[in-house]
Amino acid sequence: MATLQPLIARSSNPAPTSGAAGTVVLSNVRKCYGDFVAVDNLSLSIPPGSIYGLLGPNGAGKTSTLRMIIGIILPDSGQVTVFGEPLRRAHMAQFGYLPEERGLYKKMKVLEHLVLLAQLKGLSSAEAQKRAQSWCERFELTAWTGKKVEELSKGMQQKVQFIGAILHDPKLIIMDEPFSGLDPASAVSLKDVLLELAKNGKTVLFSTHRMDQAEKLCQSICLINHGRAVLEGDLNQIKAGYGYNNVQIKYDGDARFLKETRLVESFNDYGNYVEARLAPGADTQELLRLASAGARVSKFEVMEPSLEEIFIAAVSQPAASQPNA
Amino acid sequence: MRNMWLIIRREYLERVRTRSFLILTLLLPGIMTVIMILPAKLASMGDKAQHIVVVTSSPQFGETVRQRFLAALTATEEDDEDTSDAKPDADTSANAAKKKPEQDYVIDVDSNATEAERAALRDKVTSQAIDGFLWLSDDAIASGKVTWTSRSMAGFGQRTLSQALNRVIEYERLSKNGVSADQADGMLKPVKVEAVRLERGRESKGSGGGKLLEVVIMVMLLYMAVLLYGISVMRSVLEEKNSRILEVLLSSASSTELMAGKLLGVGAVGLTQILVWVVMAGAFALPAMAMQPSFSGLQISPGVLVAFAVFFLLGYLLYSTMYAAIGAITTTEQEGQQLQFIVVIPLVLSVFMLSAAVRTPDAPAVVWMSMIPFFAPVLMYARIVVQTPPAWQIALSLFVLIGTIAGIMVLCARIYRIGVLIYGKRPNLPEILKWIKYAKA
Repeated sequence: MATLQPLIARSSNPAPTSGAAGTVVLSNVRKCYGDFVAVDNLSLSIPPGSIYGLLGPNGAGKTSTLRMIIGIILPDSGQVTVFGEPLRRAHMAQFGYLPEERGLYKKMKVLEHLVLLAQLKGLSSAEAQKRAQSWCERFELTAWTGKKVEELSKGMQQKVQFIGAILHDPKLIIMDEPFSGLDPASAVSLKDVLLELAKNGKTVLFSTHRMDQAEKLCQSICLINHGRAVLEGDLNQIKAGYGYNNVQIKYDGDARFLKETRLVESFNDYGNYVEARLAPGADTQELLRLASAGARVSKFEVMEPSLEEIFIAAVSQPAASQPNA
Repeated sequence: MRNMWLIIRREYLERVRTRSFLILTLLLPGIMTVIMILPAKLASMGDKAQHIVVVTSSPQFGETVRQRFLAALTATEEDDEDTSDAKPDADTSANAAKKKPEQDYVIDVDSNATEAERAALRDKVTSQAIDGFLWLSDDAIASGKVTWTSRSMAGFGQRTLSQALNRVIEYERLSKNGVSADQADGMLKPVKVEAVRLERGRESKGSGGGKLLEVVIMVMLLYMAVLLYGISVMRSVLEEKNSRILEVLLSSASSTELMAGKLLGVGAVGLTQILVWVVMAGAFALPAMAMQPSFSGLQISPGVLVAFAVFFLLGYLLYSTMYAAIGAITTTEQEGQQLQFIVVIPLVLSVFMLSAAVRTPDAPAVVWMSMIPFFAPVLMYARIVVQTPPAWQIALSLFVLIGTIAGIMVLCARIYRIGVLIYGKRPNLPEILKWIKYAKA
């Protein structure tokens, strides 16, 4: 299992990639609930204008981390810096927040609700109206603006909530599991909006427990487990650090080459294709020659390690991932 | 400040715009009117004249008894009213307005005092031809055993009857001893006590009853407002926690702003409703009340009106804040209702203390109780109504009251803020204390 070795040595404690220049910088942040340590000595830095993914399994401390960045809860120790200054209440107007547990006033009309949320962020009523209308158009909610929130489906409510989070044009958008509960089409339009926001210089931070999503969207990530950062930094660098040692092979015929333990450490047969993990130091070309000798190879692809694999590899090396412990 | 105002506006409009608010506001006065008028109407419908037969040994005596009886019945009814409490003394003009006793009682005289007649009268009572008969033969008077036979005592209490009868006998005995009817009137005229209260050296004739009424009206309004809208505050805190909207709001506004906005917003709804009711009551009931002499003695000084407004508002705010606190530490409405006693007990206790406060506003127990914020709204107001307490006492009680409201509000905001981010069970006291300490920001 633990064969995925980092090729370059990681620093003992994941260091912020871009130092004080980050839109959000956490340094050695710790948060306990009673005896339970939710976030433990976490440091990360979110580059401006990037899409940043906070990854980790359920209960890893993602939501607590996000809440500390917004200032809903305070860290027991450590420091949160936003836009280069220690976090202050005044910064809140620049944040757009989508909590994991969506919450709206059920009896309020959609448009009124959006206007209220924007007004609380300092927008004038007229401006809020105008923006809310145009966002509702974009998310195909125009027909629902006069309806009460409770009359909307859950997915639609989530869109309303999302609009509410970005209506005031915040510099930093923080979303807790934004994709959960959305149908594929809505998820695509949400993704498009996030990309657009980042292109316009906004910083987007979102949490997810789905690695594949983060892998597609994020420039940088922080992988946390049990409240500690396992990996932090630029996604490409992290991947490069783990090397390319997976091969996807589609073939017809003799499968004997997979038994060659000198080259293949293990493999996983998915039916349509096989994913083989190379033994340390193995040459991919040698494996290809061997495979084509006995079988018809229709696909042979050297794979980047998936985030999922990296995560599993990282958390299963306690000595490497928790050097301070 | 802007955020608080936005929250107040939302809470207010959200509630005032609902149909149920409109219905309750308009319908309740209607229902109250019906409740107040209907029993009186129903009672008067069943009020047909009582048909009574007086059996005496001689027709002359019978006629005297009839006259005296009617006069005495009027007198005792008045006495009843005076002794029975609350209402200020009725002046003479009230007698004219009163129903004539002749309309209520038809009294026949029967001088055939035989056992056969007694049996016949019994049958009449049974067959409802008459309501009752009074056996007042010379023998019966001599032996002191007069009997009143009827189907029921309804509408004609035994006390009324024996009081009236005693008067009749007194007159009879006096006249037998050579005292004329006029002299007897003079001798038997009852004495009335008129209460005169000294207020800053001036005489004021309002009885204690009128003062009690002023206090009771305020307490009733306070009760109603707290029960209707205090719960509404609790419910809205709970709703916000359960719908998880709080987390979104907390990313824009502070929990104190949210809590204060909610309290003031919901509070304003209750005030609006009460204001509508008071105006409606003023428009419809006041002219009618002014006709009633028992209410015309009710004079409310401007100082008392100010005290009313101040203590009502503060009391309302205090108890609503307590409800908000309950909402903050519970997760469901049922749980919240179980904790309602926290609010209800101080209210009930202050009502228990009320009569003591009105009777002896200077008693040390009353003075100190009226300083305790949870009783101050009712008790300090009652003291002000009865006898203006020293200014320092009013100031101290206001100071403590306002401080307590602010304190609970801040604590509440902290509990609220932490409580909403924690799932599941109701926190126990040590946990709540920890939250309060923890949530300093």
